[in-house]
Amino acid sequence: MTETHYQGKLHHLQKELMSEYYSALTASANGSGVPAAYLLIGGNPVELLRAFDILPVFPEVNALQLAVRKQSLPFIQSAEFMGYSSDNCAYVKADIGMYFGGRQTPFATIPEPSLLLCNYVGCNVYLDWFGHLAEFTGQSAFQLDIPFIRSASGKPSKEDIDYVLRQLHHLIGRCEEITGRKLNEEKLREAVRLSSLTGDLWSKIKHLTKRTPAPYDAYFDSVTMMAPLYCLRGTPQGLEFFETAYAELLAKAEAGIGPLEKERFRYVIEGPPPWPHLRAFRDMFSRWDAVAVASTYSTVGGLWEFGFTHDPDRPLESIARHLLEWNLTNRNFLQRYEQIERYLEEWNANALIIHSVKSCRLFSAGQGDMREYFTKRGVPTLLVESDLEDPRYFSEAQMRNRIDAFFESIAHRPTREGVKV
Amino acid sequence: MKYAAGIDVGSTQTKCIIIDENKQIVARALTDTGANITRAGERGYEAVLAAGGIAREDVLCVVGTGYGRFKVSFGDLQITEITCHAKGASMLFPETSTVIDMGGQDAKGISVQNGEVVDFVMNDKCAAGTGRFLSTAAETLGLALDEIGALSLQARNPVRLSTVCTVFVESDIMSYVAQGKKIEDILGGIHSAIAARTIALVRRVGLKPSYTFTGGVSLNIGMVKMLEEKLGAPLNVSPDSHYMGAIGAAVFALEHALSATTAS
Repeated sequence: MTETHYQGKLHHLQKELMSEYYSALTASANGSGVPAAYLLIGGNPVELLRAFDILPVFPEVNALQLAVRKQSLPFIQSAEFMGYSSDNCAYVKADIGMYFGGRQTPFATIPEPSLLLCNYVGCNVYLDWFGHLAEFTGQSAFQLDIPFIRSASGKPSKEDIDYVLRQLHHLIGRCEEITGRKLNEEKLREAVRLSSLTGDLWSKIKHLTKRTPAPYDAYFDSVTMMAPLYCLRGTPQGLEFFETAYAELLAKAEAGIGPLEKERFRYVIEGPPPWPHLRAFRDMFSRWDAVAVASTYSTVGGLWEFGFTHDPDRPLESIARHLLEWNLTNRNFLQRYEQIERYLEEWNANALIIHSVKSCRLFSAGQGDMREYFTKRGVPTLLVESDLEDPRYFSEAQMRNRIDAFFESIAHRPTREGVKV
Repeated sequence: MKYAAGIDVGSTQTKCIIIDENKQIVARALTDTGANITRAGERGYEAVLAAGGIAREDVLCVVGTGYGRFKVSFGDLQITEITCHAKGASMLFPETSTVIDMGGQDAKGISVQNGEVVDFVMNDKCAAGTGRFLSTAAETLGLALDEIGALSLQARNPVRLSTVCTVFVESDIMSYVAQGKKIEDILGGIHSAIAARTIALVRRVGLKPSYTFTGGVSLNIGMVKMLEEKLGAPLNVSPDSHYMGAIGAAVFALEHALSATTAS
């Protein structure tokens, strides 16, 4: 059986930098005076917070960190004890449970928010999540209303952009109230410039998996890079991380080294990972010498590999475009199909895996149709289901059975190009 | 004569098959899996060797399948029961395009082409529509599992169940009993509900004849008839349908042994 043991420089640097980030959160919780803003990953406008030296806190990242460390269930259960339904988003429950558990986690003490920035309208549960946090923390929630992409072109209208820009100006006003400082435009431009360079490197890293073998797993290794992408983007440390990561992964690509000894299957994966069982899930693919060459999940916070870059000369407009157009969660379903199709074609993948999340009906809705859509186009497609946060939804034997049967079936059948994989 | 064996360690029962070099079934054994899965595979293998009067050293290759396949530690290969059911069904019924498998705890639809899996669906972590549902229903009515199928065929006015949940079906059945409904009409309703649910599941991989019905529930004549009625097509059913996963595993074992011989 092939197992994955790869721990490169980027993994160590990630640990070090994230540990510094969490120390800053703990310091804020302990009264360092640095204000903290809670915000959501989808298209996160973190650059604006950098301009005011406000610490970004991502409740989703905290929740998934709890899940990876197998600490989520007691918090989920305490939220259920409060009355949250078993069907409710488990990220929400873990976060609320953690909040009432004194905001203590194994990685940081999470500070109280000075700003609740609900920047994602794609999910009505998230609106309620921040609504509840507003009630519990006594802070009012700032709702950034981001219109969905509704046009067939996949582009926001000028009115959409103006609408978001007006709200960003209101948000600046709120940040000025919180910090007692006027916006430093030069500082904003610098944060956007750093994000621009970071995004370009992340895009280059994404394109490296077009090579055979892919130098890293675009799902299981991408998640290592996603925390710095959100928590450290717009800072010199964030840029340093991506410079290191790109150099290391490029060297691997040049040397023809992949994360597994052998690369037999190349697949695209849709949906978040089952964080509480990440290692077991990864090994289910590794034992088939299967490598993810692209993942839609790694574009939830931003979609850089298809040409987006922040523009320091138009900082607010590029933040607005990031929120509107260049993140997975605000895109329509046809765009999600197109994104996967591009991955299948341009990244030369043989199969599609959809990991559906039980406690997120909103994002998972339509994935049955997605499976049909790609199956009809001759793409071997597997839909499996568990949860991103709640360990109780993961049945290892059933999951393994489906994944094994899927790879057994594609091992014997020609791909749509008529080539055996 | 040399042989190959397939061992299907299922959630409820362990099915073992030995075939000869001509792919003829020469021995079968059916044992309860029980709590010790490692022991279940070994016990089943001993039983099938004894049933066929075959020595271990004459078995060229053993393939484990089913949920307990990784516990068949003496096996040469492990292959999922999905792939094995497709293989077994295609050996017994070469024209098979769709396999409908109803076992103790899961129901599956498998789309098959030339003996290989094209696509498959399974029920999730819920026993609705599986053998467990039928055994719960039989138990509630005080009947033996092997008599409910034939009784269901005598239904004249089958009841309509409000649930296919294995837990809630008990209260549904009890309320019909309390209303004085005939046992055969209740059983007719139960079989109808499960057949409809199974077809809805299998539809996701496409309903393409010819259909082969496998798994323990294929021994239930009421379910066979109900599925045929709803599909509007006959089902291939063999007295060995219950062993289909083990048959497929044995065929894989034989192919593996022969290819190893050729290679050497």
